[in-house]
Amino acid sequence: MRTRFIVLLLILLAPGAYTQDYKQALPGYQYQFPRDHFNHPDYQTEWWYYTGNLKSADGHRFGFELTFFRQGVSRDSNDATWHVHDIYMAHLALSDISGRRFYHDERINRAGPGIASLDAASGAVWNGNWRALLGDQHQSLRAAEERFGIQLELASTKPPVIHGRNGVSQKSAGVGHASHYISFTRLLTSGEVSLNGTRYKVEGTSWMDHEFFTESLGTNETGWDWLSLQFDDNTEVMLYRLRHKDGSVDPYSSGTYVDVQGKSVLLSAKDFTMTPTGETWTSEESHGKYPVQWRVTIPGLSLQADISTPLANQELASRIGPTYWEGAIDISGQHAGKSLRGVGYLEMTGYGGSHSWGANRSNNH
Amino acid sequence: MPYSLLFYRLIVRPVFRERARSLLVILAVALGVSIVLAIDLAGNAAVGSFRSSMESLTGDNDLEVTAAGGVPDKIVGQLATLTYPLRISPRIEDHATIAATGETVPLIGIDIIAEANNVSTQQIEPLNDEGLKHLTDPDAVFTTRAMGKSPGAKISLLINDQTHEYTVRGLVPGSSQFSGNIVVMDIDAAQQATDKKGRVDRILLKLPGQPGLDNWQQRLRSALPPGLALNPQGSQTAANRRMLAAFRGNLTILSYIALLVGAFLIYNTISVSVVRRRTDIGTVRALGASRNAVLIAFLAEAAVFGLLGAAIAIPLGRVLAIGAVRLLATTVDALYVSSRPGSLALSTGSILIAFVVGMGVAVVSALSPAREASMVPPTQAMGRGQREYAIRIDRKRDALIGLSLAFAGGLAALAPAIGGRPLFGYLSAILLIAASALSIPALVYWCTSVASSVLQKIMGVEAMLASRSLAASLRRTSVLVGALSTAIAMMTSVGIMVGSFRQTVISWMESELPADLYLRPAGDPSADRHPTISPAFTERIAKVPGVEGISRFRAYEIQYQGLPATLASADTNLPRHREPSSFLSGRPAADVLQQLTAGDAAIVSEPFTNKHHVKAGDIVTLPLGEKLVSFRIVDVFFDYGNERGFVILDRSTMLRYLPDPAASNLAVYLRPGADLEFTRELIKRAAVNSQVLIFSNRDLRREAIRIFDQTFAITYALEAIAVIVAVMGIGGALMSIVIDRRREFGLLRILGATTAQIRKLILIEAALIGILANIAGLALGFLLSLVLIFVINKQSFGWTIQFHWPVSVLLFALSVVYVATVLAGIYPARIAQRLNPIEVVHED
Repeated sequence: MRTRFIVLLLILLAPGAYTQDYKQALPGYQYQFPRDHFNHPDYQTEWWYYTGNLKSADGHRFGFELTFFRQGVSRDSNDATWHVHDIYMAHLALSDISGRRFYHDERINRAGPGIASLDAASGAVWNGNWRALLGDQHQSLRAAEERFGIQLELASTKPPVIHGRNGVSQKSAGVGHASHYISFTRLLTSGEVSLNGTRYKVEGTSWMDHEFFTESLGTNETGWDWLSLQFDDNTEVMLYRLRHKDGSVDPYSSGTYVDVQGKSVLLSAKDFTMTPTGETWTSEESHGKYPVQWRVTIPGLSLQADISTPLANQELASRIGPTYWEGAIDISGQHAGKSLRGVGYLEMTGYGGSHSWGANRSNNH
Repeated sequence: MPYSLLFYRLIVRPVFRERARSLLVILAVALGVSIVLAIDLAGNAAVGSFRSSMESLTGDNDLEVTAAGGVPDKIVGQLATLTYPLRISPRIEDHATIAATGETVPLIGIDIIAEANNVSTQQIEPLNDEGLKHLTDPDAVFTTRAMGKSPGAKISLLINDQTHEYTVRGLVPGSSQFSGNIVVMDIDAAQQATDKKGRVDRILLKLPGQPGLDNWQQRLRSALPPGLALNPQGSQTAANRRMLAAFRGNLTILSYIALLVGAFLIYNTISVSVVRRRTDIGTVRALGASRNAVLIAFLAEAAVFGLLGAAIAIPLGRVLAIGAVRLLATTVDALYVSSRPGSLALSTGSILIAFVVGMGVAVVSALSPAREASMVPPTQAMGRGQREYAIRIDRKRDALIGLSLAFAGGLAALAPAIGGRPLFGYLSAILLIAASALSIPALVYWCTSVASSVLQKIMGVEAMLASRSLAASLRRTSVLVGALSTAIAMMTSVGIMVGSFRQTVISWMESELPADLYLRPAGDPSADRHPTISPAFTERIAKVPGVEGISRFRAYEIQYQGLPATLASADTNLPRHREPSSFLSGRPAADVLQQLTAGDAAIVSEPFTNKHHVKAGDIVTLPLGEKLVSFRIVDVFFDYGNERGFVILDRSTMLRYLPDPAASNLAVYLRPGADLEFTRELIKRAAVNSQVLIFSNRDLRREAIRIFDQTFAITYALEAIAVIVAVMGIGGALMSIVIDRRREFGLLRILGATTAQIRKLILIEAALIGILANIAGLALGFLLSLVLIFVINKQSFGWTIQFHWPVSVLLFALSVVYVATVLAGIYPARIAQRLNPIEVVHED
């Protein structure tokens, strides 16, 4: 009964419903910061997505994810406190890499009397007591559930990157099948992780994605694989690969290279390869079979990287929304003949469970 | 002598020989026990398992946040953003009346979206995918399966004074958990439907296991404004249970009085049977049975009767409970809290109680006759001609003891309540009943000796014989008179109390209902349901020609010191045609009301002062909105409409703290000379789409008295049963007298008495017993009514009742009992007529 309820609840969230009330992500969008870090209620779907790799002084390694989603439901003029204009979801996950366990939690709310929302004045985006304070230079995160929590300060070392071409990150053929996509690719992170009553002072690097759009995926796209790579030479790469039902890769797959100065270069589908290299992990919960080992090549940059994960089970098996794999990764590779190492995050959707990610989150990173 | 033989000789054979006597004892036990059982079962179903219907879909939460007039919305946001890992479930809790059936059901508003976070509570179930798209529509409702609505079906609901059409979008699962229908809406829709803008009724909180409930309560307490109450979940239910426990306690005691009447009868019947078996006792004693063996044999007999009686009482009590539970539910709804009686459940516990009570009463009642039986000396008993009791009772000594018990009873009546229960009041009543029982032999002796010659002159020699015979068998007569008079006393005292109460309420309404017309929202009222009338409609009424002023009465449910109470406000600045003057201080109403408008002042009802031990001049501190406000009590007013207790503020004071302008009731004053019916019609038209009931002053009083009578229906029923038990006992007792005295009747016949004279003799005996019982019962009843009115009622409910003789009711009831007593003599008289004098005289 519960599952049925929640699955059906997703219909409410489903893109395609009431899309005529919203704007589409179109080329030529003029970004303005800090305004564009916050809410874009004219677009149906929006999210703020934090991931990062952390380590305590004594070497305990963690990965974390904190995501705030907003999905427009109605744009009527009813101003009652509890009236539902948007549904807010949030995901919190902690990968205890040293302890070899994955923890996650999720929540769904309406704005109501300040339960979940955004406030440009204070820079806050929150869902219950999970909260991020946004700023160009500085961001802070605070989220906890009964077993685990994070409290982190994030400092940007590079300006925000706008992905895609002419302000839009195209996801499939056709006008508007795109998103406005902004990333902070290197956030120096310090703070505290609490886990089962123990507090760890931690440091590391985080990544933040912010996207807003109205229905972007094509109907034949069933899932995607996304990578954020933070190399130890102070460069970063973001790549996504959109998959078709027949297993082929969509030509609108794309990526971005960010150099030491923070300058970004668009990588289109023909500029890179991103291929599973054999090792898979099968989820007991969703029975999804995820490729957890990848090889990335970007010939134009003479860049080649092997991706592996230190913890195979980083699947966020959701009660409320779709199930996906989102986890910390290790990178070893070569750049222009020099060896290169790094950390990052890998996201894989549409592999397992009864509900396809595409039904809910119609976009990728 | 073998024990089994003794038992057979002494008990088994006589029991079968005298089936009527045995049946009577069993029946007396059965009736008494069945009443106790019925009240226990009904009490359990109606109030014992009381769980507020608002506890539907509450899940496994730990704490709840409530406030008088509702919790401001923003508190939900504040709690949600605290760093603690809490689960937060805000709720709207109200009632809706289903227009089609008139059934009033709980209306619960929950955050349907956030409920998905909650792993443990049960979810609503959309009937189809289409239904889900409309989850948060303002007209979407979810019903219990039992309501049998299909997806998309329309349902008309009356909420406050508005009827609107809603669409069924899904089902509430697990409806078998709660004993009735409920309607669930999304919190947004519910807030709009109930017009509770900006407020929710309750916020439920689920806490992490550590560091314990008390610790969390302290932490959260400091995070909340002082006016909000933070209690363990279901404290409303707990408070109501505490309140209902006192009510149920009183009821249980009433039921045991019925059992007491039964005990008298068992005592009497066994006494008679001991006399009947004197010869047998003598024989077994002569054959070597010890005194103890005889004692045990008689007690064992009583225990078996008790056992059989209890066995009959169980199904009988179950049947009686069906009627009782309905009456009880009415009382609970009118006086205390909206409730739905649960199902009647015959538990092992109640069956055990039935057997323990049944056998206990039978054995205790048999104790004295059995002891007497064991005292029978073997030689004497075997001799012929021994008929009357060997041990004569010392009526003077008994009367003296009775007098001192009555004195002690009087003293007990002066003692205060213990823990809100009038324990000494009940002790006083028991002492008075005992005193009466002990004084009855003296009364019977005195009356019959005075009356016998007079009776002879008026009614002939049979009357003289009847009178003398009563005096001669003083003990047996006293027991009969005692039993009947106790039943009559119970009836009389309750009759006087209810009658006095009724008269008090009538004269109170005279002063307290000064307006010409009264309006309330349609739907059934209850002590804790306060639907509202829309302010727009109130404004329209004010403009109706002929209307001079409107007093807006607004009530809220609050908890004060862990007990439910009603907080209300009214316009007190209206020109009144008749001034109410029912304040405890006796001051003119205008003075009191003037004080009420100044600052934070309140008046409280008399039951409130009784429950919370406050008086005029004291301070009551109430949580209002977010604030904690202290009010000075300027006076105490009489109130008989509500047992929970009222705190009343001036409307302007209330609006300062709770700005909701809607009223729960309106009192409309007409201009002098305005036509009542015409103005009423105009108001009805102004109602447009507001569903309100309009009562004229006279209608309202009639309605109030109707509710009053309904409320006391259960007490009427209980006393009627007690009287039926007593009258049946008289019939049975006379029957055993006839059997016992058949030799005497035989002799009378041989001496020339006609059968008609024998019949007359027995009927006159019955009549004399009836008169004596009426005299004693009326006297005892009067005293008991004083205890009931001024001690038991005052201490448990706090109502000041003016004493009043309900003359016509009493006259009627006493006549019925009297006639019934005489009629009860007819069958025994007929048996006596049929006796063969020769046979009975030579029987032994």
